Amino acid sequence: MDKFKTIKELVANKSYTEAFELLKQALHKDDDFIVQHKAALVWKNFPKQHLDLKKIKVSVLSSSTTSHLLPVLDVWLAKNGLNAQLWESEFDTFDQMIIDSKSDLYKFNPEIVFILINYRDIDQDVENRIAHFQGLWDLLQQRLDCFVIQSNVDVPLTRIMGNYEAVLSSSNQNLLRKFNSRLGEAVKTGVTVFDLEYIAGMFGKKQWFDNRYWYHSKHAFNLEAIGLVAFYLSRLIAGVKGLSKKCLVLDLDNTLWGGVIGDDGINGIILANGAVGEAFVDFQKYIRGLKERGIILTICSKNEELNAKEPFLKHPEMILKLDDIAVFNANWNNKADNICSIAETLNIGLDSMVFIDDNPAERELVRSILPQVTVVDMPEDPADYIRALDEQALFETIAFSDEDRIRNDFYRDNSKRQALQKQFTDLNEYLKSLEMSSVVGDFDEVNLGRIAQLINKSNQFNLTTNRYTEVQIKSMMNDPAYSTRFFRLKDRLGDNGLISAVILKDFGQGVLGIDTWVMSCRVLSRGMEEFIFNEIISLAKTKQYKSIQGQYIPTKKNGLVADLLKNLGFVLERNENGVTWWHCEVSNVELKKVHIKKENYS
Amino acid sequence: MGEMRESIKAQLNKVFQKVFDDEDIQITDATAAKDIDQWDSLMHITLIVSIEKEFKVRFNTSEVGKLENVGQLINLLLQRLGK
Repeated sequence: MDKFKTIKELVANKSYTEAFELLKQALHKDDDFIVQHKAALVWKNFPKQHLDLKKIKVSVLSSSTTSHLLPVLDVWLAKNGLNAQLWESEFDTFDQMIIDSKSDLYKFNPEIVFILINYRDIDQDVENRIAHFQGLWDLLQQRLDCFVIQSNVDVPLTRIMGNYEAVLSSSNQNLLRKFNSRLGEAVKTGVTVFDLEYIAGMFGKKQWFDNRYWYHSKHAFNLEAIGLVAFYLSRLIAGVKGLSKKCLVLDLDNTLWGGVIGDDGINGIILANGAVGEAFVDFQKYIRGLKERGIILTICSKNEELNAKEPFLKHPEMILKLDDIAVFNANWNNKADNICSIAETLNIGLDSMVFIDDNPAERELVRSILPQVTVVDMPEDPADYIRALDEQALFETIAFSDEDRIRNDFYRDNSKRQALQKQFTDLNEYLKSLEMSSVVGDFDEVNLGRIAQLINKSNQFNLTTNRYTEVQIKSMMNDPAYSTRFFRLKDRLGDNGLISAVILKDFGQGVLGIDTWVMSCRVLSRGMEEFIFNEIISLAKTKQYKSIQGQYIPTKKNGLVADLLKNLGFVLERNENGVTWWHCEVSNVELKKVHIKKENYS
Repeated sequence: MGEMRESIKAQLNKVFQKVFDDEDIQITDATAAKDIDQWDSLMHITLIVSIEKEFKVRFNTSEVGKLENVGQLINLLLQRLGK
């Protein structure tokens, strides 16, 4: 408890950043409710204007009491970098709140709506209940620009039919399971499921269900589980806001195998062949699973590079292969520097990286020098590695596309391109040698998921940082005032996938405005910027626009494109507190020379 | 008996201080919801849940709502702890 006293003293002394860091460290998802409550009180009185947090408005609609959950959720959202404004519906009025277009819910105008239900809300007619919730989501999305997070239901422990409940399709257990599985199927764009049933299981259902507090004050689950619920919900909300992690930085010795490769040699390290060795194999399988869902894998090890690579090449039990690793960093420099260099190679932010190392001293070093990097506290026993990493819920996502499946390959190919580039002294020669081609098309349903992902996750190559939901993007696709273009890029080393999206808007009087231009940083400096510029120009010509107007809205992360429009030949129009407006006359423009061949999308 | 009562009261006082985030709280047997500003129905639940955790006891549904003052709470705890 003294931690909270220290935090309050730091706040009183105006050491806000330090106080906030300490508060974040003091939060643990498994702590008792009283500790969560204390942290929530500290956060409630925190002068938040001194912190640099992203603002977010969240509504919590529930069929049970959520008054104790909200303050705890608030502090957990803060830990995830979000300064939340929360609003809850009166107990069990959420149907009315959603249906009545004049309700306080709509006045509040949230960007996230969380609907929390429990098993008591479900009756025999599962399909009818599913249709009911679908109807509510539709109403919400028609009336708000919001993302809906719908909880599923906790399946209780009571079984009137005993084991036979697992047999009889109309039993209570089976109906609730069916509801949960149908709910997942019913989800559409802009809606995702919060897996309450999973959390109930993780907490332990014998404790989760505490009917005393349901009868007394309509709490749907044990208040001691509030920390866990708030933790997982805050992670999912952060995921919706594009704040999930992207990249794992892995140590080798005693992390991916037992022992020290430099000392023990390829035959001496512990991998398979025995209890501990099996634990390392399983951990590698889990890591490979993360790679297959789109997490970038990198290595950061204090080793001679040849030694470090040997198990990947020669050890028969290695699950991870060199091809799975986007950047392999083995040297004797300090790990903080190495992580920075990996971030640079991959062109991703430090705040999207997760560091895994069995050595507490290395973890402490990285934590103190690079507070933006997530450092997982690895347990001593390798048998517990998977759980330690998994339960941090660092990689929450609301979509899964083909791009995710092969993302690691993009980054690996990029490392190869960087090596190739070193062989050429002339950039043009190098670009020519890549034999690049780009597929260009209008936004469509097939690519919508990836386009929304780019628009919402790109922080660096992003002129305006306008964020749009899939629903909003879809409406632009059908609005004649907008023109949209997506771009794919491939070369002889591999396909980079869909890497850029542009939204153009009719500003009237012959002016075409660049509302949004985002691009994946992994294709920077290959002439794609110029290629896209050419595309915008030819589109403007075809549609007989006289000029193009662009805007740059600076954020902490998009300094990369501060001069983009200038470099493309746009003229500065005005500067309002750092927000710059640029224009270019279509008739005066010369198209840029590029080494990318255009392919039309079919 | 009196000693046990005092030790429970001291432990209980710490729970009150945590729940109401106020280190100056000093409870007496007569302390009731009206004496502490923030002791509303919401905080009542927080208090009861925290006491259950602190003393490793479990109150009945009927007891959850009707614990009106500190004296009653201590009596109940004495009874539950079998002392």
